[in-house]
Amino acid sequence: MGRMVLVTVELPPAEATLEGAMRRLGLSEEEVDTAYGLVPLDPGQGLYAVRVTEQAGHRVTPPGEGPFADPPIEPYGPPQ
Amino acid sequence: MRVLIQLRPSPDVVAAVAAPDLTATTADVTDGLPGVALDHSFTPVALPRARPASAGGDPLSLHQPLVFSLAPEEASVLVRGEIADDESSARMALLPGRGRDVVGVYADPLIETSLTCGGSPPVGTWQDVARLLRVPELHAEGYDGAGVALAVCDTGVNAAHVRDHLGKDVTVDRGRSWNPSGVTGEPGGFAVDHGTMCAFDTLIAAPRATLVDVPILLSRRQGGTVMDGLLSDAVAAFAHLRAVLDAQPADSRALVVSNSWGSFSPLWDLPPGQPGNYSDNAAHPFNIIVGSLEQAGADILFAAGNCGTECKDRRCAYPGRPIVGANSHPQVLSVGGVDTNGERVGYSSQGPGRLSDRKPDVCAYTHFAGSKAFGDDVPDSGTSAACPVAAGLVAAIRTRWPASRISPSQLRTLLHRTAEDRSTVGFDYDYGYGVADAAALVAALRRRAERHRL
Repeated sequence: MGRMVLVTVELPPAEATLEGAMRRLGLSEEEVDTAYGLVPLDPGQGLYAVRVTEQAGHRVTPPGEGPFADPPIEPYGPPQ
Repeated sequence: MRVLIQLRPSPDVVAAVAAPDLTATTADVTDGLPGVALDHSFTPVALPRARPASAGGDPLSLHQPLVFSLAPEEASVLVRGEIADDESSARMALLPGRGRDVVGVYADPLIETSLTCGGSPPVGTWQDVARLLRVPELHAEGYDGAGVALAVCDTGVNAAHVRDHLGKDVTVDRGRSWNPSGVTGEPGGFAVDHGTMCAFDTLIAAPRATLVDVPILLSRRQGGTVMDGLLSDAVAAFAHLRAVLDAQPADSRALVVSNSWGSFSPLWDLPPGQPGNYSDNAAHPFNIIVGSLEQAGADILFAAGNCGTECKDRRCAYPGRPIVGANSHPQVLSVGGVDTNGERVGYSSQGPGRLSDRKPDVCAYTHFAGSKAFGDDVPDSGTSAACPVAAGLVAAIRTRWPASRISPSQLRTLLHRTAEDRSTVGFDYDYGYGVADAAALVAALRRRAERHRL
């Protein structure tokens, strides 16, 4: 698995599972970080995030959105 | 913005300013300038006119012999004032055209001999920070963090180290703490590191808060590089914190989220303008979940970063506007750093922010001898320390003011309004609205409580 990105998808409550998201986005298990799973971003809007390969991210079409960058993050201290 | 204004008043006024035996005041020189808060404590200074010594010399060149004249009909006068940062360009352009008196408007930059920088020794101690935050007075009024969940999203907390150096018991909520996938370790039992410093600093103002340990920076998720974590772990952590918040009774919600981390470099991001970009894009999933969590009632604080122009961290790679992504989110409190003398530390990132222009929001104390997480002589430093110090103050306030009584947005506004103004009039890009002022904040809340009782 190379570089990974994030994609988002709106799902109705009945389909709010990783499998449901993969089905909607046309993704295979190999393309998805299954340990990361389906992460709710805004429960009120039914909006979720999935972590996928960069290649799969570029394939995503509505109702999915992305790919979004997954940049590294670092502590802000001590100053170097 | 501080400015010097060159005026050419009538010759008798210039003569009075230039006379060594007289003391003219700013009010003698001008009765006011639009948009300028004149500094009446500044004694006006007569400025001689410079002319080429020889006929035909270039009037604009300093590379020639010059003669200087303080003759009243030739000299001018300097006064000092401040212009609001967001009006500075327009005001500086318009003022010289306003009347014959105004010759020019010039920046009056701060000059200092020694700003606190990365390698500087500690400035004061955590007890000084407690004194400046009026902690005894806060506690006397019941503002001590009791019953408030305080999430430290960092490298994990070592509760024993915090307890030993703070001299107080520390509560870590194991049930509500959360590890990213693949991270092993028990809440409160991680190695002493950056997260332990942050936890210590939150407890200066709110020692009875309940820590929620969220070690997102320990993640080594596949597909990353040799970094300290990935933003996707922060997305998952915030989803967990949303569940923590939703599980609290609606009328007593109190969750404060302290984030002393960020992205130093655009290298692993997509360029601004691309739909998948993080740094400048409110539609990025992490920026969405930050807004969603705040909307649900969480107070979210982010360190402004250590890319201040005077002594930036060597990792800073953004060419400008280094307060990026969620650190500049309009629904978070972005925290810059001041030392215990109230002076901005040279590494504290300056605004404007990328998602929201008016960043940092406020400053809080940093660079003091505190947790000793990095060694006995090493200060708690960076905006990394300022952010949890401010988070502790917010958690202390939440003891009596849950989100149902004052929303996160209202509390941020109150923090802005009560901050001790520094540098220029109102907001500026160095200090934001100023240094968070616990006494003024509590006084404002007291007035608010009285109003609501009426």
